[in-house]
Amino acid sequence: MKDPAGEIVLDARGLEPPEPMERVLQALALLRPGQTIRLLLHREPFPLYPLLAQRGYGHATRRDADGSYVILIHPLATEAG
Amino acid sequence: MSQGAGLSFEQAPPFSVPLRFLLTAPLFLAAAGGLVAFHPEALASRWTAPALALTHALTLGFLAMVMLGALMQMLPVVAGATLPAPRALAAITHVGLTLGTLALLAGFLFADALAWLAALGLLATALGVFLVASAAALMRAVASDTVRGIRLAWVGLAATAGLGVALAASRAGWTTLPDVAAAIDAHALVGLLGWVLLLVIAVAYQVVPMFQLTPPYPPRLARWLAAVLAAALLLRAGAILLPPGGVALIDGVLAAGVLVFALATLRLQAQRRRRLADVTLDYWRIAMASLVAAVMAWGAARAWPAWAGHDAYPLLLGVLFLGGFAVSVVNGMLYKIVPFLAWFHLQAQLQARAGSIPTMKEMISQRAMRGQFRLHVAACLLLAGALAWPPLAVPGGVAMAASALWLAANLASAVRRFRAFGGRWA
Ligand code: HEM
Repeated sequence: MKDPAGEIVLDARGLEPPEPMERVLQALALLRPGQTIRLLLHREPFPLYPLLAQRGYGHATRRDADGSYVILIHPLATEAG
Repeated sequence: MSQGAGLSFEQAPPFSVPLRFLLTAPLFLAAAGGLVAFHPEALASRWTAPALALTHALTLGFLAMVMLGALMQMLPVVAGATLPAPRALAAITHVGLTLGTLALLAGFLFADALAWLAALGLLATALGVFLVASAAALMRAVASDTVRGIRLAWVGLAATAGLGVALAASRAGWTTLPDVAAAIDAHALVGLLGWVLLLVIAVAYQVVPMFQLTPPYPPRLARWLAAVLAAALLLRAGAILLPPGGVALIDGVLAAGVLVFALATLRLQAQRRRRLADVTLDYWRIAMASLVAAVMAWGAARAWPAWAGHDAYPLLLGVLFLGGFAVSVVNGMLYKIVPFLAWFHLQAQLQARAGSIPTMKEMISQRAMRGQFRLHVAACLLLAGALAWPPLAVPGGVAMAASALWLAANLASAVRRFRAFGGRWA
């Protein structure tokens, strides 16, 4: 389990596309080493994934029982190390 | 659970693939307006040459143009179904559809044998190539209500194109069809409901909740509506085989299906989570209201045979369905698709820092979109009014052409912004 303090939680449910993506890209700039982003959404953000990969971030997506999605975003380099 | 970055959107086509379709389409809409302005008799009877040219400027030049371009963008994204050789596919389909539609319009207007020949060759090639390429992709696609709906619409397009080619060949005098009237009926019905409506329904399942932040469509409706409509259309297209009462029953099923879709969509939109003004939302509402009005006009024709036999009746259905419904939905969607793609490709190409490129909402001036929407609504009202009072046809056609050119200018402004911030086509 990640330390919750090392996490930026971004609840983008109820935002119109592509605002959730714009918010994530903004948050990436604020990310400090060891931190991750937890993105909450009503649908799976397919177009976000290549933008993340391009910038060197990976993601893990999970669908919750209530039908919403949780996307954990982390730098690829720290995962390898 | 999905991991990593290997998702289908990376295989999404370059911007130029959908864009060439999306920027060409408004010009055909403008041509359709021009046709009405110069040939107001297009609105006097559905069988005049200008009326048939008008129908196809709208259905092929505007609607199919946007729909094929948008499908090439969308199939890889929502269905994980990549299309083979996207650039070549786009080039063949786009050039064939553009020139083929122009030739078909010339064929109707001038009854010219060479024009018919060109129309047949070009349209059969463009639609045939697209159908084959998308069939492969649709078979591999991950099934969902949207994908199932698009598959049914694919069948609708194939049937419409096949019947259209046969009708054109018979008009040109190369073949004789056993029952031309039945073939025209089937072509028109399957084209409008089996292709245009089913595709809009399938896409609505995705885009209405996504962009208008509504709850999802009720699962049972999403699961069954398109299939029920498709089954009814199949029976209806083979109407000669039905007992007399059967046709009326099936028409009732079709009308009920249209009504259910329109009312369910309006209801979801009334429940949306954020209540900001949005031009696309208003386009959808006008579209759904037009569908309801079309069903009412149809119902009135069941009650009053004199209305059913009136020249204005099929034309009113056409104005409501094509202008009020289909053109409105597509116009509204263009205001999401083009700004989104401009933003997305800019973001991906420049790996831009937040704030250094325009947001999607800044790609087209909100005021300009709102003004164009008002002009479109005015054009629809004038064209419907012209069926009762013909002098309105010329201003209606002019308004339609002006609104189409305004749409083209608005889309071009997004593309200009994309270029100004350093976006590339490749
Ligand atoms: C794919 C979308 C298409 C749609 C939605 C569509 C729709 C229609 C409609 C609604 C009519 C009846 C017009 C009226 O009642 O006034 C019609 C007639 C006709 N269509 Fe299409 N059409 C499509 C494609 C085509 C194609 C690809 C061709 C030819 C290659 C074609 C050839 C014809 C012909 C020849 C007629 C008139 C038949 C006659 O009066 O002799 N259509 N179409």
